[in-house]
Amino acid sequence: MYTQNDKRCSLTELVAHIQNGDCLAIGGGLSWREPMAALRELIRQNIKDLKLVGSAHGIDVDLLCGAGSVAVSAESYVGFEQDFGMALNYRRACETGAVKVEDNCCYSLVQQLRAAIQGLPFMPIRSVQGTNFLKLHPEFKTMTCPFTGEQLVLVPALKPDVALIHAHYADEHGNLHIEGPPVADILFAKASKKVIATVEALIPHDELAKKGVTIPYFYVTAICETPYGAHPTSCYPRYAYDREHTASYYQAAKHGLDSFNQNYLTPFVHDCKDHDAYLLAIGGKARLTILEQWDQSMEKWMQLYE
Amino acid sequence: MNNINKIQTCTLGELMIYQIALSIEDGILAFHGFGSPLVQLALHLAKRNHAPNLVLVAGATYGINPSPAFLTPTTNDFAMNRDAECHLTIEELFDLAASGRLGRMFLSGLQIDRWGNMNVTRLGNDERISLKLPGGGGGCNLSADAGHVTIWTAAHRTHADEHGRRRYRLANHCDFITSVGHRTAEGLPRAGMPYRGAGPDCIVTDLGIFGFDQEGHVQLHALYPDTSVELIAESTEFDLPVAANLSTAALPEPEMVEFIRRLDPLKIHERELSPADRGRFFQLSGA
Repeated sequence: MYTQNDKRCSLTELVAHIQNGDCLAIGGGLSWREPMAALRELIRQNIKDLKLVGSAHGIDVDLLCGAGSVAVSAESYVGFEQDFGMALNYRRACETGAVKVEDNCCYSLVQQLRAAIQGLPFMPIRSVQGTNFLKLHPEFKTMTCPFTGEQLVLVPALKPDVALIHAHYADEHGNLHIEGPPVADILFAKASKKVIATVEALIPHDELAKKGVTIPYFYVTAICETPYGAHPTSCYPRYAYDREHTASYYQAAKHGLDSFNQNYLTPFVHDCKDHDAYLLAIGGKARLTILEQWDQSMEKWMQLYE
Repeated sequence: MNNINKIQTCTLGELMIYQIALSIEDGILAFHGFGSPLVQLALHLAKRNHAPNLVLVAGATYGINPSPAFLTPTTNDFAMNRDAECHLTIEELFDLAASGRLGRMFLSGLQIDRWGNMNVTRLGNDERISLKLPGGGGGCNLSADAGHVTIWTAAHRTHADEHGRRRYRLANHCDFITSVGHRTAEGLPRAGMPYRGAGPDCIVTDLGIFGFDQEGHVQLHALYPDTSVELIAESTEFDLPVAANLSTAALPEPEMVEFIRRLDPLKIHERELSPADRGRFFQLSGA
């Protein structure tokens, strides 16, 4: 239970809750509401040997793989869909063996988190048997159901050390409000030992209560107000996905790890002492305004993808 | 109407979208997943035409019955989720599947074997990964749980390299089984597994339409106007049985083509096709 009245802290202090070797659940999904500012700070703090768990992810996991922060990936998907295709840093790290591949599947993960949330040792599922995921996950067991006689797969409880989430709003007490799809964030928050969150804005509790509490405060360890903290992923309705920036990220990754270091990690992570410096590096207010104006017209919205 | 009257041909992508749509029954709950623009368009086309009671669950956002502003290359986007009637959570969608209420799912693979097992996890072996693929999302679970599965791929056609070797999409062997078809790699039938669903019943590729025979083996059902049994056999690593009533796949109506073009002005779905396949057109009947 995290009951302190004021959970606010700096981004540096927030990320310091993550230790080398932790099992980290990153919130959001694909190009939506990834806690990117916190991940860049994690790289600056040189936190290593992470085991990542999650469902469908993209630039968040790829960035950490490119920075050498990851030891094991147990995500269910890491890529850029039809936008840019494969996640190149992730792919390289898996193929060289720098990252151990322990791919998981969405429902297996959901059931593992639910077992943790419910204080049970495991949850049963029908699927996964007959696939090669059992080889990647020797901790999954099979048993004959005592009621039906069917063979079921048991997936053990999964309690990530830290869930890292980017939400729209928080109050000082740590209640979080997320607009739009929560993806697996609520499950992560309830299953994990610690929950740390960056938020677009801190607002008084009365205002937050009116919007609705997505994740209650007592799950939440610490919060940091970090406007545009999901950039270059989207945080609708506040701002859209920055495809142009992601394209330059992809180009940097495409030409190898040295190129990625030189053309992406150095200018956008290591040379930015903090998140404000990053926002200037990506084009400052002018760029952010374009992303915020996605809803002014259909043409403006579509232009962001061209 | 003027636009529709002008439509006299459809593209390969539009033909594939129409054929995927035809596999969707009215009144079921179906989920389009992510990284699947051909499928995303097929669900919206089906709902607008023969399946108005389809419970359409958008991939990644889990919104139900949205009206996308336009197709985006990133599935978890407000543009894809516009005006959704209500929303599921991730656990609710997968619970619906586990309890037998997801009528149909759509899955693909870099390797698809004769039983409909597929690989989107990695090429290579346990010791050495030669190509790490993005992974299957929830496809592993849903291949067992969904009532039926439509398989699609826009990369069936293979080309021989300078040594005459081909890397087959419809292949003898999956380096890793991410999702299950009708038999295990050892040939054991699906009926012996406690899965909810009946498995894949249809494959839509860039070369033709396939089903599965009594044994659960892939079988050629329909050609496209510009493909032949020989061409398809050449691009398929395993021997391919041909259905007795082999036909030519039906083409969409001009109204349907116009609908697809309106929903996907950025032509996101063409990114699934090879550059050469983007140039394939078919004359619509009556045009």
